[in-house]
Amino acid sequence: MTIRKAKSKEEVIHALHTVAAEMHDKMMKGKPPAMTLPVRTKTNITFDKKLQVYKYGKNKSTRDATSLGSARVLLRSLHITEFIEQMINSGKSSTLREMYYISEGWGNGKFGTQNESNNLAEDLEIVTKCIREDFKLRPEEDGARIIGNVTFEEKNRKGEWMRINCRDDVGDSGYGVPYNVEAEKLKLVEQDIDFVMAVETGGMFDRLVENGFDEEARCALIHLKGQPARSTRRIMKRMSDEWNKPILVFADCDPWSFRIFASIAYGAIKTAHISEYLATSEATYLGITADDILAYDLPSDDLTKSDLGALQSELSDPRFATGWWKEQINLMQEIGKKAEQQSLAKYGLDFVTDTYLPEKLGALGLNY
Amino acid sequence: MSNAEEISSKQKQIAVSEFFEKNKHFLGFDSLQRSIITAVKESVDNSLDACEEARILPTIHVELNRQKNDKIEFITQDNGPGIPRDAIEDVFGKFLLGSRFHAIRQTRGQQGIGITGVVMYSQLTTGAKTNVISKIKNENSAVFVELGLDTRKNRALKTGEKRDVWIDERNGQDIEQGLRIKTVMKGKYQKGKQSVHQYLRMTSIVNPHASISLIVRDIEGNIIDEGAWPRTTERLPRVVSEIKPHPHGIHLGTLQRMLRESDERKMTSFLRHNFSGVSMRAARDILVKANIDESRGPRRIKSEDAQEILAAFKEVKLLSPPMDCLSPIDDLLIKKGLSKAIDSRFASTVTRNPTVSQGNPFQIEVGLVFGGDLSSEGPIEVLRFANRVPLMYQQGGCLLTKALESIDWKRYGLEHPAGRGVPKGPAALLIHLASTNVQFTSEAKEAVAENEEVFEEIRKGLLEVGRGLKNHLKKSSQRKKAQEKFELVNIILPEISKKSSEILSRSEPDLAPVITQIMNAVFCEEELGWDKERKIGTCSIKIYNYTARARAYSILVKWPENDTISMVDNERGGRKEARGIWAWRLDTLNPGTCTIIEFGVNGLAKGEWTDTDVFFRGNGDIIGASKIDETLLNEIRKTEALDAAEKEILNDVGNLEQLIDRAEINEVEELQTMQPPSNIGQLSLSEWEAE
Repeated sequence: MTIRKAKSKEEVIHALHTVAAEMHDKMMKGKPPAMTLPVRTKTNITFDKKLQVYKYGKNKSTRDATSLGSARVLLRSLHITEFIEQMINSGKSSTLREMYYISEGWGNGKFGTQNESNNLAEDLEIVTKCIREDFKLRPEEDGARIIGNVTFEEKNRKGEWMRINCRDDVGDSGYGVPYNVEAEKLKLVEQDIDFVMAVETGGMFDRLVENGFDEEARCALIHLKGQPARSTRRIMKRMSDEWNKPILVFADCDPWSFRIFASIAYGAIKTAHISEYLATSEATYLGITADDILAYDLPSDDLTKSDLGALQSELSDPRFATGWWKEQINLMQEIGKKAEQQSLAKYGLDFVTDTYLPEKLGALGLNY
Repeated sequence: MSNAEEISSKQKQIAVSEFFEKNKHFLGFDSLQRSIITAVKESVDNSLDACEEARILPTIHVELNRQKNDKIEFITQDNGPGIPRDAIEDVFGKFLLGSRFHAIRQTRGQQGIGITGVVMYSQLTTGAKTNVISKIKNENSAVFVELGLDTRKNRALKTGEKRDVWIDERNGQDIEQGLRIKTVMKGKYQKGKQSVHQYLRMTSIVNPHASISLIVRDIEGNIIDEGAWPRTTERLPRVVSEIKPHPHGIHLGTLQRMLRESDERKMTSFLRHNFSGVSMRAARDILVKANIDESRGPRRIKSEDAQEILAAFKEVKLLSPPMDCLSPIDDLLIKKGLSKAIDSRFASTVTRNPTVSQGNPFQIEVGLVFGGDLSSEGPIEVLRFANRVPLMYQQGGCLLTKALESIDWKRYGLEHPAGRGVPKGPAALLIHLASTNVQFTSEAKEAVAENEEVFEEIRKGLLEVGRGLKNHLKKSSQRKKAQEKFELVNIILPEISKKSSEILSRSEPDLAPVITQIMNAVFCEEELGWDKERKIGTCSIKIYNYTARARAYSILVKWPENDTISMVDNERGGRKEARGIWAWRLDTLNPGTCTIIEFGVNGLAKGEWTDTDVFFRGNGDIIGASKIDETLLNEIRKTEALDAAEKEILNDVGNLEQLIDRAEINEVEELQTMQPPSNIGQLSLSEWEAE
């Protein structure tokens, strides 16, 4: 079970100070200031057998002030450190975007792009072993929507615990997952479901809701909104751990959807330092598979150049090194086609709930 | 006129308009777009040539107004010498086919059929007459006249001639001198690579002494295109002298004609006075080889003998023809011309020394601009010129392009996929061929024909500017790196130190050893400037030692030394290493210190010195300077010594030739005093009869 204990103020500040101390110590020794962190590419992620997820490997890179670019990054991390310390001490929090704008006042430490500030926040998480919730930094992106017979307790702005049933207490858009879903903010209270199904596109999510699939099949539906936000992956992980329910992923059949699944099931490359909190190794890819395109004769599009490039790159990604994925990728390369979830509508609006899903779930032993 | 003469003359007359119709394609009037360019070209070339001859700085205005049915009102005006009233009919009414080809010197006019083509084309396509206003400085009024062509009689038809004051429409003042041409012709105005705009832009690049402007209006009178290229120099192209033909470029027919028409009495003087590059000794050698007595009269030379002489020309060592028949633009002026037309970061130009191909003097000039506003997409712009005239068509088939394509541009910092075709990148390349005899691939005169010597010269010029570009790119990347390092240690590092100390509430570290560790190099930064008040080009070179050891170097700097340019404000002294290279010794450059070398250069105009090279001699690299190549330096010194020696020898040879000439004149005078003049006449007559 990976219930994460929140770190205390002092622990977070101390961890951040070690980053500044590494730089200061180097300079005291007459050496260029530096910051050491793992290499963050697919070449440096390895499967952690104990945690059953992908984590960063042993390759470290040192960012030292011998080039202007690296020196700027070091200066920025010091500015971020100072900024986080101020927020912690004054009980405030900010979005990553707000921090990007605040950096306008940091002179030579200001960010060039928001991507830079996002990446640097992740770097600091990695070296301090904290998470951004500890830093009081919020993401910009929305969390997912959930519909189904599950009940959460969320601490509201007044500091009171609020009980919410995701079938009875929500509208058509479902329960909005907050950015922080750690134990101090959200409790998983009750459920009466057989499995959890994560859906890639909003159109398919709404189709399943309209068809009453959550009640019929006794499941919780989660709308992933493309590449799922951290909190989405975290809540799925907790549902899997704490309720011990199967997690199924229902996505388009294209190389980018495969990556969505990989980030859910094995851990994302960018967040491999916290894979054990975010990745649900028990998750299963339900569809749409390359086989389905053939078996159901689905309307499909030709793979584009960038699709083909993405597939090729996946073949060298350790997360797709299993036989089943290799087969799917090879098959897709062979037929040169991709298909959307909503292409199932070829056979009518109810085809997905009446035929496709029952057949796919049945194959997994989930009959309803 | 006899009957026969009449017939032959008639045939010729009929031929003129037919000739135009049949040969429209190589006269440049084959399409509506091209016709308008050709018309502008004929008119502007004429203006430039006339101004050059009259030593006037040209100001040329071109105006094109679109009318209905693909018609264009065509106006050009210059400030040239004007055309005398009586010459107007000839200039505008006669085809100059071939007439200028005898003069052996560089002219623009070689390449067209002249302004008559414009009059003819207008008349044929719209029936319009050509309005001419011509004002000569010494006359009180201008001539206004309308011209048409009698295509059957090959002459101009004047109507409505009058004299009047000519007033400038823009400022209401009397125009002192100049020529204005106005007519209406079929034509299509188009923008782009082959357009009037591009033609004038290119013309202005190679004629930096000219101010050229263009206005194009649509049918409603709205301006749809315009351009203004003011002059960048007051210096007119030098007066080119006509030269005698060189023996290596002569054909049998020409030689025979020259022999026939010669007044010389002896073959030695014939050879020396009618050809360039033939000294007394060479003349004798030629005659010995051809087995001809040197005192033989030229008119007595038979056809077989002439062939012998021609063969002997190839065997005897001859001087090169004089080069003052060529008018190069000059590398500095090309630089100015290019930078006025193209906004760029870097310009490198080369004027090669004149040389000879088959007896024809020619000279290559090359210019390259890089960076700035130039697009980095697609192939570079190629600007081809022959005798200061832009070549706009048939780029692929032109020798100039082929020479350009033969170079491996990748080595010089341009993209050159597979090493074939025109390279890519944010650059433009100018190639100018100045020659007394430009050989084209066809009558259209748009592509220069194959010629190995010309090809090699162009290649050498291109390699030179290529090296310049490579150097520049290397230097700018080094400079960027150095600037980054300076920013790093002077700005960012102190902030890291301050911030980390604040966060940890510790004291700040001593950064000196950290800086040395990060930089660990000696840096050099040069800056060229301009002292407005004193009109002096300034140069300052800063050398920083960011290593842990003291250093010692000699610093060598390139400067534009010549007879009129001198070094001033050089407080550090130093010494001359070679022409254009000055050196200073820096005995101790302590760790963490900076030294500055400063000097000024007198005798330059603003913008003439924008680029220099810094070299060093000593141990340990300097970023921003290159190690001096001692063998290269020695070579420069050697060439200098050779040049000086050659000059002296040439002087001596010149003196010797003058002595011989004087002696010969004396000889003739003696003869003349000895014999009655009538005898000479008789002798010539008998000689003529003998032939």
